[in-house]
Amino acid sequence: MWRVLSAALVAVLLAGCGSKTETAGKVFAFPYWIDDLPNGLRLVTVNTGFPNLVALYTVVQSGSRNEIEPGKSGFAHLFEHMMFRGTEKFPPAKYEAVLQAAGAQHNAYTTDDRTVYHAVIPKEDLESVLMIEADRFQNLKYAEEAFKTETRAVLGEYNKNSTNPFYKLEEAIQETAFTRHTYRHTTMGFLKDVEDMPNQYPYSLTFFDRWYRPEHVILCVVGDVERQAVLALVKKHYGEWKRGSYQAGIPAEPAQGEPKTTHVDWPTPTLPLVAVAFKAPAYDDENKESAALDLAAFHSFSENSDLYRRLVIEEQKVDVLDAENPDHVDPYLFYVMARVKEAKDVDNVRQQILATFEALREKPLEAARLEEVKSHLRYQFALGLNSTARAANIVAPFVALKRTPETINKRYALYGAMTPGDVQVAARKFFTPQTRTLATLSHKGGK
Amino acid sequence: MRTGKNACVTGLLLAAVAWGQQIEVVEQPSPSPLVNFRILVKTGAAMDPPGKQGVAALTAAMLSQGGTRQMSYDQIVRALFPMAASVNAQVDKEMTVFSGATHTDNLEKYYGLLSAMLLEPGWREDDFRRLKTDAINFLRVELQGNNDEELGKEALYGRIYQGHPYAHQSTGTVTALEKLTLDDLKAFYRQNYTPANLVIGLAGGYSKDLPARVVKDLSRLAPGLAQAVVLPQPKPASKLRVTIIEKNTRATAISIGFPISVNRSSPDWPALLVAQSYFGQHRSSKSYLYQRLRELRGLNYGDYAYIEYFPRGMFQFEPDPNLGRRQQIFQIWIRPVEPANGMFALKAALYELDKLVSRGLSSENFESTRQFLSKFVNLLTHTSSAQLGYALDSKYYGVGEFNGFVKAALAKLNLTDVNTAVKRHLRATDLDIVIVTKDAAGMKRAILSGAPSGLTYVAPKPKEVLEEDKSIGHYKLETSAVHIVKVDEVFEK
Repeated sequence: MWRVLSAALVAVLLAGCGSKTETAGKVFAFPYWIDDLPNGLRLVTVNTGFPNLVALYTVVQSGSRNEIEPGKSGFAHLFEHMMFRGTEKFPPAKYEAVLQAAGAQHNAYTTDDRTVYHAVIPKEDLESVLMIEADRFQNLKYAEEAFKTETRAVLGEYNKNSTNPFYKLEEAIQETAFTRHTYRHTTMGFLKDVEDMPNQYPYSLTFFDRWYRPEHVILCVVGDVERQAVLALVKKHYGEWKRGSYQAGIPAEPAQGEPKTTHVDWPTPTLPLVAVAFKAPAYDDENKESAALDLAAFHSFSENSDLYRRLVIEEQKVDVLDAENPDHVDPYLFYVMARVKEAKDVDNVRQQILATFEALREKPLEAARLEEVKSHLRYQFALGLNSTARAANIVAPFVALKRTPETINKRYALYGAMTPGDVQVAARKFFTPQTRTLATLSHKGGK
Repeated sequence: MRTGKNACVTGLLLAAVAWGQQIEVVEQPSPSPLVNFRILVKTGAAMDPPGKQGVAALTAAMLSQGGTRQMSYDQIVRALFPMAASVNAQVDKEMTVFSGATHTDNLEKYYGLLSAMLLEPGWREDDFRRLKTDAINFLRVELQGNNDEELGKEALYGRIYQGHPYAHQSTGTVTALEKLTLDDLKAFYRQNYTPANLVIGLAGGYSKDLPARVVKDLSRLAPGLAQAVVLPQPKPASKLRVTIIEKNTRATAISIGFPISVNRSSPDWPALLVAQSYFGQHRSSKSYLYQRLRELRGLNYGDYAYIEYFPRGMFQFEPDPNLGRRQQIFQIWIRPVEPANGMFALKAALYELDKLVSRGLSSENFESTRQFLSKFVNLLTHTSSAQLGYALDSKYYGVGEFNGFVKAALAKLNLTDVNTAVKRHLRATDLDIVIVTKDAAGMKRAILSGAPSGLTYVAPKPKEVLEEDKSIGHYKLETSAVHIVKVDEVFEK
C-alpha cells in the first residue's frame, strides 16, 4: 500500500498536479483527487454529485494518542476548543460572522487519533470559509484569560458525559488494558488533568506548535466542487503555511501477558454492564487481520448473531449488545459490551460472551453467514453515502488513518476476499486470555 | 467498525387536522440507487387512553421490533441484515412514523418485510415482554439514570402539560406500562392504524408503480375515521414555577420553558424562528446565549433555545422530522454546570431572556440571522430522508415545500415583525424551570432566599463583565412554587 502510494505521490510532485483515482466497481464510488502542496498539506477533493453544498473537513492527525506527557491527558480535545478562539485578523466574533453569513453548520470533534474541524456550506461560500479556516490554522492567537475560560467549558463537557455509565466503563477498560501507550486515557482525559487545565496555558502553545502543521493535516473538500478551482484556492490560502519539525515518540504498549479485570462502582441506580475486551491490531488496509476482526464482530455479536438471538430475543437477559473493533493508528482493543437486565445474570452473560469468542477460535464460520456479513457491510456503506455531509463524515476517519480515501476501497476489498479460515486465524491470534480485559459496572449497593 | 443496535427506541408524533379518508402519498422520485420510506400514522402518545400511557409507543415498537404472523422477530432481523436495512419507529404526541431505507437491489424484499410488519403484526407474548421491559428501562435507565439533560427537558414538558394529553413522556409512564396488555395494543392498532390516518412518503429510485402498490396494500388496514384528540390550552405557570429533581449527580442541568401559541403554520412562526435562532441556535457557537454563558464565562458546554420539540439534541445537530405538534413551547436548555454555579446560570439565562423580550433584536442581528437561516435551511434537508420527512411535515402544517416556504417567509420579514413577535410570545416570567441536581434542598433554599449569586472565575475578567455579573447575581427570582421531586418518581405515574 505505502509503496504504491509513495509512487503516486512522487508522480504528483514531479508533475505538479494531482491524480484522479479510478472508481469503477469500488465501494467508494465518488470521483476524487489528491493534491499535495510542497509544505506537506494534502488536499482531497471529492465530487459527490449532490448539488449546491460543500463539506469542508480539516483533518488533523493528532488526537489524545499524541498526549505523551504525564498530566496532559485531554489536551488534544481542549485544543480543539481553543481553535475557535480566533486570530488577530479574525477574532471570534468576526470568524463567526463569516460562518453565519454562509449559513454554515460547523463544529469539531476529537478522538484518540484525530481532530476534525468541519463545516457544511453553500458552494458559493467556499472561499470565504476556506480563508478563515486557513487563517486560524496558521495564525491562531488567544490570551491566557480566554484559554482559562475555555478550560471550564471543557470541564462542562466532562460533566455532561459523566452521567453515562458506558463512557465510564470505556474509561476503566482503557486505563486497565494499557500501561504505557497513550490509549490508556480517553480523549476527554483524566478528571484530575481536566481540572488542572487552567494552569497549562504554556503547554497549549507547545501543542499547537507541534501538531498544527501542514504535514499533519488533510483538507477534505467534498460535494459540489471542481478540483482545479479548489486547488487554486487552497494554494492561495494555505501555501505559506510552514512545515514543522517535531517528531513524537508515542510509547509502545508492551505485550500484555496475563488476563486483567476491572470494576466500576456506579453511584446511582443503573443496569449492570459487562465488557470483554482483547488487544487488537492497528487499522490496516493490506494485512487481513484487523478487517477479519470486523467480520468476526458482525458475525458473532451483531443483531444477526446467535448470541444476540439468545441473549436479547429469546432469554431476554440483555437489552444492549454492542461489539466494536474501532479503527486505530496503533494496536487498540476489540470489545463487546452488554447491558444486563438483572444482576443475577451477569456471570452467565459474561460466560456466553466468552464462549462466543472461544467458538470463533475453535471452528471456522459458516461460509453463508460470512457472505451475509459482507453483504451487510457493502449495503451499509452504500446507504451511508446519501448526502455530501454524510460522505465527508465517512471519509474523514479514513484519511486520518491513511491520508487517502482509497483505503476505504482497499479495506472493503479485504472484506470481500475474506474466507472463514482467515477469520479463524485472526481470532486465534487475538482472542487469547493473555490479552484479555474483563470489566463490569454496577450500582454500588444495588441489587 | 461498530455493530451495536440499541434496544431503546423512543419517539414523537403529531396530530390532527381533518385529513381525508384516502391514503395520501408524498412522492419524491429521483435517480438515486436508494429508496426511502416514511409511513406516517397520524396518531401518537396524545391518543393514549387514560391509564394506558405508552400504548401508542409500545404498539409502534411491536410493529417495528416484533415479529409478523409469518415470521418471528429473529427471522425478520436476519432477513434485513444482509440488506443493512431496518424499520425504525418514532412516536411523538401526534405523529408516528415508520422509516427506513434500502438499496434498489433489495427493494422488493425490503418492501415485503415492511408491509408485512405494518399489516400483519404477530402480537407474540415474548416480543411484548421484551419491548415492555425496553420501554420501562428507557424511562428508568436512559432518562432517570444516564442522561440528566434529556431527563430535565422531558420533565419540563411533563410539568408544562400537566393534565393535558401531552403530559406524559411519549414512551409512557412506568405504572401504566406495567399494566398494559397485548389486547390494549391490538385495540389501539385497530383504532389508529387506519387508511384514513396514513400518509405515505416515498423518495429515491423506486419504480413508477410502487406508490399505487403501497396504497393498495396499506388500504387493507381496517377502515376507520381519522383520529384526533382535543387539545386544551395548557395553563401557564404563575411567576416562576420550579421543579428540582434530586439526583446523585456531578453537575446541575437546567431547562426553562413555557407554552407558546405558535407552530409552523402560524403567521408569527418565521419571526419567532429568527428570534430563536439569534438567541439560541441549536449547537451553534454564534448563538447569543452561548456567547454570554459559555464563551464569555465558561459556565458550561452550551446554551440553546427552541420553539419546536427537539429531543436527543445532545446526539445530533439537526432535528428529526415528523415530530409535528399543534402545540409547542419556548424552551431554554442550559447544559450541565458546576453545582456551585447553578444559581448564577439560572439567573443569567433569565436575565438574558428578559433583555431579549425588552430590547428585541438589533437591525444588524436581525439581518445576519435572516441571512444565516435563508442558507441554513438547505442543510436541514441535506438527505433524501430528511427532505421526505420535511415534506410530510409541511403537508401536516399546510405550509408548502419547506425550504421555499422558509426562504419566502424570511424574505418578507422585517425587524418590527420579529420584535413584535418576541414581545407577543416570549416572556421571562410565568414559566417553568426544571433543575436536576444533587443538593436539591440547598438549591431550593438559594432560590427562595433572594440572596445574590456570585461566580468565581479561573482568570481575570473585564470590568464590564464583572459589573454585569453583579446585575445577574441580583436578578430577582419571583417564584410561585418550588418543589423537590426524587429522580425515581419522574415518569413513574
